Amino acid sequence: MENVWVAGAGMTRIGRRPEPLQDLMADAALSALAMAGLERPDALVIATMNPEEFVGDGNFASNVASYMGFADVPSIRIETATSSGAAAFHVGFVEVAAGQRRSVLVVGGEKMTHLPTPKVSELIGRSIDAYERSYGATMPALAGLVTRALMARQSTILREMSQVSVKNHANGARNPYAHFQEPVTLEQVMQSRMVADPLRLLHCCPISDGAAAVVLTADRTPVRVAGVGQGTDTLAVRHRHELVSFRATQTAAQAAFAMAGFGPERVDFAELHDAFAPFELIALEDIGLVPPGKAGHVTLDGETALDGRLPINPSGGLKARGHPLAATGLAQIVECIWQLTGRAEGRQLDGRVALAHSIGGLATNNWVTLLESA
Amino acid sequence: MIETIAGSRCPRCGEVFAPPATYCPRHPVRMTPIRVPGVGEVVSFTTLHSPPEGFRSPLHIALIELEGGARFVCHGAQTRGLKIGSRVAVEAIDDVYYFSHLGALDRARLFWRRTGHAGERVNAITRSLIKRVWK
Repeated sequence: MENVWVAGAGMTRIGRRPEPLQDLMADAALSALAMAGLERPDALVIATMNPEEFVGDGNFASNVASYMGFADVPSIRIETATSSGAAAFHVGFVEVAAGQRRSVLVVGGEKMTHLPTPKVSELIGRSIDAYERSYGATMPALAGLVTRALMARQSTILREMSQVSVKNHANGARNPYAHFQEPVTLEQVMQSRMVADPLRLLHCCPISDGAAAVVLTADRTPVRVAGVGQGTDTLAVRHRHELVSFRATQTAAQAAFAMAGFGPERVDFAELHDAFAPFELIALEDIGLVPPGKAGHVTLDGETALDGRLPINPSGGLKARGHPLAATGLAQIVECIWQLTGRAEGRQLDGRVALAHSIGGLATNNWVTLLESA
Repeated sequence: MIETIAGSRCPRCGEVFAPPATYCPRHPVRMTPIRVPGVGEVVSFTTLHSPPEGFRSPLHIALIELEGGARFVCHGAQTRGLKIGSRVAVEAIDDVYYFSHLGALDRARLFWRRTGHAGERVNAITRSLIKRVWK
């Protein structure tokens, strides 16, 4: 297997964006290509979760390729629900690693703020098992079930997960690309509107528009893709025995570390999928970044803050940077690359190994990606 | 008398699911139909304050582990006093499953809240009361 390197990374500001989805994706793609000093990649890998219903366009690989002037470049589209961006990165990685392409442009994007919130929730909710959906289960509902089960095990979880939101908003306030750039207090989080008891509004990520892109190449650059791992689980949450940890994350992490040839102790900072604040705590333990039962502690102690021992979600995470579905997995990787190459002005970390973790559906199709300064 | 719920068992791993699945999610084999008892323990529960279209707020959803191991998603009239590990019965009301230790009044209110014609509601309430007396 060939070594795969990252040549470029770019993204749009996340938030409510007036531009068409294709425009957002072209913006992200062109800035990644500019960083790579590349005019035309050998291939395109496109990630969008549901452009058919969010914006009314299909055949989306060809659609976006043609829009941005790459009608003659081979393109495919990848979809694994909310982790589509990370899955597309994997496909780009495989194309380069196999020696099939010298350079691949991976672009992910989603646009949904123009639709009413109940419609957006319904469209995202279609990634849930149909029977569970028929009982009104939405993503926040299932996350509420997970959180309640966590609470029964650890009574301090409400404060700990609220601190995750506080930390990620503080990081987002330093990121000009973030959806939310205002800090929030612990009181604001713990008194925000109840969404899915015990989950409150400020424990949940927003609905966002945006795009992110990465250029992968067979030619040596300062950042190497050290490992990519995928993990899966049953579509229905009721078909699992465990509610307070995600097997799909554990499997993805094991696969990524096995490929990299090192363990979680080498990770200097990470972008974790905090669609709901408690998911950051679950991921810390599932990946092995902190010992079982310690995620809440290290969060309250400030170890995962920007100036802590193990900064988590320096971008602001899904909570503050925002969650434009198929863009998210790539936006996490873009943040890692910017951090590793000294481009994260205002929140710059000092580290050599970065980890990105993306959840598809309610942890049915998860990814862990490891990047390393060469 | 306890209601039974349609489920299925994997001939390969013995895992039980409810409602029944055609194939076992972890093995590519057709499952065997079985019935499972409608009683179990609360694994978790939540209350949605802005439920999706077609549901009234607040919407109580619970995950119950039925006797025999199948986990089951259902509704409830309320979660007051409910704890993880609470033992509950699960029964169908108009093909929708609810966990409960409910009194007759709670039942009546629950039917009333569901959308449908007045006639259907009265029928459902009557059916449930008959069931209750029968038990």
